[in-house]
Amino acid sequence: MALKRIERIALAPLKYRELGVIISIIVFAAIFYYLNPQFATAETLATIVSLAAELGIIAVGVSFLMIAGEFDLSVGAVFAASSMLAVWLLNEGYPFPVAVAAALGLGALVGLVNAAVTIIGRIPSFIATLGMMWLIRGILLAVTKGFPVRLEVEEPMLAIFSATIIGDLRVSALWFLALAAALHFILVATAFGNWVQAVGGSPATARALGVNVNLVKTVAFVISGMSAALAGLIAMARFKVVEPVAGVGLELEAIASAVIGGCSLAGGVGTVAGAALAAFLVSEIRTGLILAGAPAYWYIGFMGLLLIVVGIINLRVGRAGVRYG
Amino acid sequence: MSSRVRRAQGFTTTQAIAVVVIAVIALAAGFAVGRATAPAPAPAEGVETVTVTKTVTETVTVGEAREPEFTFYYISHGGPADPWWGPVIKGAELAGQLLGVKVVYQGPEKFSIKWLVDALQSAAAAKPDGIIITVTDYQALDEPLRKVIEQGIPVIAVNVPDPRPPDERIPYLGYVGQDEYQAGYKLGEYVIKWFQREFGRLPKNAVIGIHEVGHVGLELRAKGIQDAFRDAGAGYVPEKLDITTDITKAYEILKSYLRANPDVEVIFTLGPLGAHPAMQLIVDEGLQGKVFVATVDLDDKILQGIRDGIVIAAVSQQPFAQGFLPVVFMYLYVKYGIVPPEHVPTGPTIIDKNLLGIVEKQIQTTGGA
Repeated sequence: MALKRIERIALAPLKYRELGVIISIIVFAAIFYYLNPQFATAETLATIVSLAAELGIIAVGVSFLMIAGEFDLSVGAVFAASSMLAVWLLNEGYPFPVAVAAALGLGALVGLVNAAVTIIGRIPSFIATLGMMWLIRGILLAVTKGFPVRLEVEEPMLAIFSATIIGDLRVSALWFLALAAALHFILVATAFGNWVQAVGGSPATARALGVNVNLVKTVAFVISGMSAALAGLIAMARFKVVEPVAGVGLELEAIASAVIGGCSLAGGVGTVAGAALAAFLVSEIRTGLILAGAPAYWYIGFMGLLLIVVGIINLRVGRAGVRYG
Repeated sequence: MSSRVRRAQGFTTTQAIAVVVIAVIALAAGFAVGRATAPAPAPAEGVETVTVTKTVTETVTVGEAREPEFTFYYISHGGPADPWWGPVIKGAELAGQLLGVKVVYQGPEKFSIKWLVDALQSAAAAKPDGIIITVTDYQALDEPLRKVIEQGIPVIAVNVPDPRPPDERIPYLGYVGQDEYQAGYKLGEYVIKWFQREFGRLPKNAVIGIHEVGHVGLELRAKGIQDAFRDAGAGYVPEKLDITTDITKAYEILKSYLRANPDVEVIFTLGPLGAHPAMQLIVDEGLQGKVFVATVDLDDKILQGIRDGIVIAAVSQQPFAQGFLPVVFMYLYVKYGIVPPEHVPTGPTIIDKNLLGIVEKQIQTTGGA
């Protein structure tokens, strides 16, 4: 009995799926600091956060949807399409709030269509959103003929997405933090969050308990689409140019972050905070490897290895958490 | 019960109709916007048909009021996703319009050798009067291209040649385009000479930002730059840095690299995707006059960078000419029996402050340089 209790206490932290990521962040920070002391500077932190913010905003939206049991592969395309729409509207002389609302609205609309195709069409969201990704990308390429679209007007309001706060730290960090906190709160502290986990865990049970499964999934799709649109606006505000290939591959990075952060591919399990921390970890590793002078071509292979290792750890931790939690 | 079984098996008719309607509306909207923003066709009575056959393939057919005399297929590994090919497509189309030739441009959305071979075979099946093709992978294209040439369809290579000696090479009529390795080498050489002229020494350190790792053309450019430094006896070879096609990542990666290697004085980039963030980084960090960009390919922003002294030089391979000239050479061959020269170079041309004026004209009229 005593042994059981000790074991239970020792393994209690495993309930927190973010723990693995937090440990990884600390361990990597120590390694990178050892390799190059410049790693522990405010500038480096600002670089990591700038990188993490765009990826993280998408990753928290995607993780929310994954917890509800669905995928969204169209986020990279929405990232490009929504910011391009905003640039066009601003260039045409529309006021800033209209352009922002239209961009976020496009993200929401794509989320709605993804939900409709998945729910009404009864095809897996993996396929539905893969199709959506190509459809949007195809339209973007056809319309722009492959050329980047540049913002031609001065828009001081863009500062709300791109200004620097202190030193090199950008306001995008606050958007990231605010969105992650809001979604985390919804997930862990509201009835709706409970439904999201129930729907992802077992739709049939959730339905039997009176949860409107379709509504929950639709809202989650819309959140995912709008998060991608917000990230697109942030990137656009900073560089004032949108390439039709912007955001290619972001969908997979977002899903990888969600998984590293503890989301299950089967739905029902995972946390928004974990995905946010994982986005930070991914950016930390990218920056750290460069500062350490590692051959740059190794980054992607390293990320693949990390994903596999963390995936295995998460599975073990998840099981232990279930047993002792 | 029966309704549950039916639902489980698939959609109901209403559901199926709903999905189809959504898809059609989305596609129609896409084409409507595409048409609205597409550049106006040159002749007033001209008939322009833009057909996107698949999401992965763009086929642009420019028809003419008069019956086209010949049909040429222009098959390239560069699709609409890469802005560099915009002027190429324009050049090929304009040559077709001027000569009364139908030019069918085909390029994949995503780089794919298999696509290139498939596209060649479908083009050959259409029995065109000539095929213009990028020999992006001479091994994959060797057999299919030889077959096409045996069938009597003339072939001109463009952008990427068959690198083997003439007697082993695929027997195409000629090649129009630059040598990617030479483009990099000339750029590296120019930068070294520029530094010697301006500062009386070589750059202390340099880095090459590569935005598509493993892309043979870009890797060759990078190798050219590295060899130029090696041959100049710089004592170091600029390192290759994977900056990705994502502009935020490119910016932050370059920033981190400069922090780890503060002696870097030149950032080489291999296209506008890398040059834009590098230029912005120099401005943001107040590194003007200390760190310089040298790049391949041009656009209006890079021209401004040359004017401002942030960009030392850019290599242009004048893409419009790579679209226009092969169509003209094919026309001369098919109509008058004029054999094109073995190699018609369209670059590398080093664009620095002295050549700004003329290149501005090229960018304004063709969309790139």
